[in-house]
Amino acid sequence: MSSSHLSIFPSHKLSHLSSHSSLSSLSSFLPSPLAPTTPRPSTTIHCSLRDLRDRIDSVKNTQKITEAMKLVAAAKVRRAQEAVVSSRPFSETLVEVLYNINTQLQTDDIDVPLTKVRPVRKLALVVVTGDRGLCGGFNNAVLKKAESRIAEIKVLGLDFIVISVGKKGNSYFLRRPYIPVDRFLDLGNLPTTKDAQAIADDVFSLFVSEEVDKVELLYTKFVSLVKSDPVIHTLLPLSPKGEICDINGVCVDAAEDELFRLTTKEGKLTVERETVRTPTPAFSPILQFEQDPVQILDALLPLYLNSQILRALQESLASELAARMSAMSSATDNAIELKKNLSIAYNRQRQAKITGEILEIVAGAEALT
Amino acid sequence: MTLNLCVLTPNRMIWDSKVKEIILSTNSGQIGILPNHAPIATAVDIGLLRIRLNDRWLTVALMGGFARISNNEITILGNGAEISTDIDPQEAQQTLEIAEANLSRAEGKRQAIEANLALRRARTRVEAVKVISY
Repeated sequence: MSSSHLSIFPSHKLSHLSSHSSLSSLSSFLPSPLAPTTPRPSTTIHCSLRDLRDRIDSVKNTQKITEAMKLVAAAKVRRAQEAVVSSRPFSETLVEVLYNINTQLQTDDIDVPLTKVRPVRKLALVVVTGDRGLCGGFNNAVLKKAESRIAEIKVLGLDFIVISVGKKGNSYFLRRPYIPVDRFLDLGNLPTTKDAQAIADDVFSLFVSEEVDKVELLYTKFVSLVKSDPVIHTLLPLSPKGEICDINGVCVDAAEDELFRLTTKEGKLTVERETVRTPTPAFSPILQFEQDPVQILDALLPLYLNSQILRALQESLASELAARMSAMSSATDNAIELKKNLSIAYNRQRQAKITGEILEIVAGAEALT
Repeated sequence: MTLNLCVLTPNRMIWDSKVKEIILSTNSGQIGILPNHAPIATAVDIGLLRIRLNDRWLTVALMGGFARISNNEITILGNGAEISTDIDPQEAQQTLEIAEANLSRAEGKRQAIEANLALRRARTRVEAVKVISY
């Protein structure tokens, strides 16, 4: 949907105006969260009335587009979050079951391939990026994190391979042939179980065939609408406790969710937040295993792996949309400000022109008498 | 005593209500579960899940996973599940044919395993539709 908006940009005659002031290029509407934003220089605007009128029109159009993109992103964030919430009962029950089975199995000496900790020689890094731009520093932040992680791995003298998920990441790694990439994957609009399954299958076969000894997942964690962090999780070997930890061993499982709701307030769309806490039911301690514990864990752990990946994909999408929303919101603000400045300049010039004309007429009339 | 069944997939909840009896295809064969069943945990194979509501039987195509039975509460965690009435018979049949063709073309161990899994999934869906028709 937003791609159709993107195609509108070049059709506006921004290019012939850009010589007048750097402000008219689109990039100046977008905030760049990575670089510290420099205060806008108060440029004086020198151009003819007609050019000014054209620019005001084009800024108006841009503002409409960014405003629309903002609303679209806001609506989509809601959908993305609903997806997270609807998958919640599954992952909650899964973690709970896994935890309980593990406590029962702790005394047994079992060997499950997915939890096997091997000395790391080669590492796989799954990088999750978005499919589209115009979302502030979202994709850049992920790719920067990936670069720094790769540098770290190189310093440690380890081998590595990248699995890239998302169009932006794909084109980034395609331009850098010195980074070995195992696979390029694309996502659809909303991440589905099938997408997660494709990644899980790939990661699973890499790990089980001992091609890699550790799999890390780099994605953007959704913290709130204005904040999201690129984080690195160890995906495999799975921690047998059934919790996801980052590379420092800190548990990053989210216990509570924030939900955002799009509402109207004083005629403007705003976003409300509410916190949802899901209760965890008690678990009966006496359980018989129908099959070997190993078989049961074999059935459970791939499920767990899939649900973790699905969750990461969903969070990454929610972060992307939130980033786009705030980027578009500040772009709209900038457009409004620019429009205001241009209008003032336009009105001044028009006034000056009228005054000049009146003076000429008066002077002419005076000369006649 | 009543039995409560809850079927969960990563996407959504497929089923959450009272049932009379279920038949589950586990890794070690089919088991029937009636109220007051002993608490067990079992791995679930790709296969059919039959649910009895009063005197009506419902079929669900279940794509493998895990089941836990305790205190008349059955929780099934599945990779995917579809109630037979939601499956389009023609589409399922086509998928089965494609899967069969893929298996015959598969090269190497990894491809063969993947094709086999796809075939079993497709076959289960077709079976689920056929059960309802007689």
